[in-house]
Amino acid sequence: MATNPEGQMGLYGDAVVNGLWRENPVLRMILGMCPTLAVTAALKPALTMGLCVIFVLVCSNIMVSLMRKGLRPHVRILMFTLTISTFVTIADLFLRAYVPKMSEALGPYVPLIIVNCIIIWRAEARASKSGLLVSVVDALAMGAGFTLALSILAVIREILGTGKLFEIQILPTTFPAWAAMGMPVGAFLTFGFVLGAMNVITRNRS
Amino acid sequence: MLRSLKHFLRESWLLIAASFFFGLLIAATNAALSPRIEMNKVTKLTSLAAGLLTDAKRFVPLAEPVEVKTRGGKTEPVAVYKAVAGDEVVGWVFKVVGSGFADKIELVAAVDGPFEKLAGFDVLASNETPGFGDQIKEMSFREQFMGAPADRFTLVSTGSRQEIDSTIVAISGATVSSTAVVEAMNLYLPQIKEQLQQKGLIGDGN
Repeated sequence: MATNPEGQMGLYGDAVVNGLWRENPVLRMILGMCPTLAVTAALKPALTMGLCVIFVLVCSNIMVSLMRKGLRPHVRILMFTLTISTFVTIADLFLRAYVPKMSEALGPYVPLIIVNCIIIWRAEARASKSGLLVSVVDALAMGAGFTLALSILAVIREILGTGKLFEIQILPTTFPAWAAMGMPVGAFLTFGFVLGAMNVITRNRS
Repeated sequence: MLRSLKHFLRESWLLIAASFFFGLLIAATNAALSPRIEMNKVTKLTSLAAGLLTDAKRFVPLAEPVEVKTRGGKTEPVAVYKAVAGDEVVGWVFKVVGSGFADKIELVAAVDGPFEKLAGFDVLASNETPGFGDQIKEMSFREQFMGAPADRFTLVSTGSRQEIDSTIVAISGATVSSTAVVEAMNLYLPQIKEQLQQKGLIGDGN
């Protein structure tokens, strides 16, 4: 069968734009709320969570894409869950081995990636219906979109909550740190404002 | 019979094969990383113990096994460390596990050289409720154990936390977590003391 390079490029481009903007898992699809609200008090845990999700997304999309022709409809979800939980366990073991303090800081939210809707969504919507390369690009784009959203929230919360970013003083020391930004209320407020900003941008563009 | 077996294999061969493959993948990762994870745990335990036994220069694991009989009747090995300063034994350190409100509570307990007084405890791992059960980490609760007799404790709901004796005042609103700490100490301290006496590592108290 003849391939259409332009069509392929369009497919990859679409996957990238979808992941980062049009179907951003956090800011447009409102998926993965549990880590979004729980680990964004600072940028370091947010980036670590983002990298873990990218790893799990890429690995599970590769496996699902490779297995897609042998998937039976009634065991489909079971296969996805089995695949996802394997790579989440591996990511958790790596964190515990190489960054134990970060592993402790993230607590149960790394094992909870197993039930993150973003990963099963991409397995169902993309990897089970597409080739390997498209599935990998899709996973990278969706993972990057998730990480970007978490980073935006974390930067706002960490700067306003501590005046610092990555231990570097950003705001003047005279600025009174808003302790609430490090608490759940700060997560909900920041997320609300970022979603509002997204809606304003979308409305202006359309 | 043969037909249904064929049908079963046709429908589920991929699930069976994937389960084996993923199981092997997790087992291999675990085998590769578990020594490092264990080393991280030991490093954390000894660094917390160093804060409790400030005279200790190094912590030497005991070659002889020490076992504790749990409430369920099972016998579990406990890694006991000898805290040494020069040639002198300044204390003993070991992990204590209790059953908390949400999950297991893992503590590091330190006692003095003759195993008469508890130097204190610190929390290795706990998923207790923030604001309630996790107050077991706070000094106001922990300091009740510092210098207390290394024997059995009694939990009370009211009293003075300044008196250092075998009576421990529970954290208000976190009775389960307070009980877990006291019960774990009551389970581990007498058994470990008895075994160290049997091995001739400490005096028999007469």
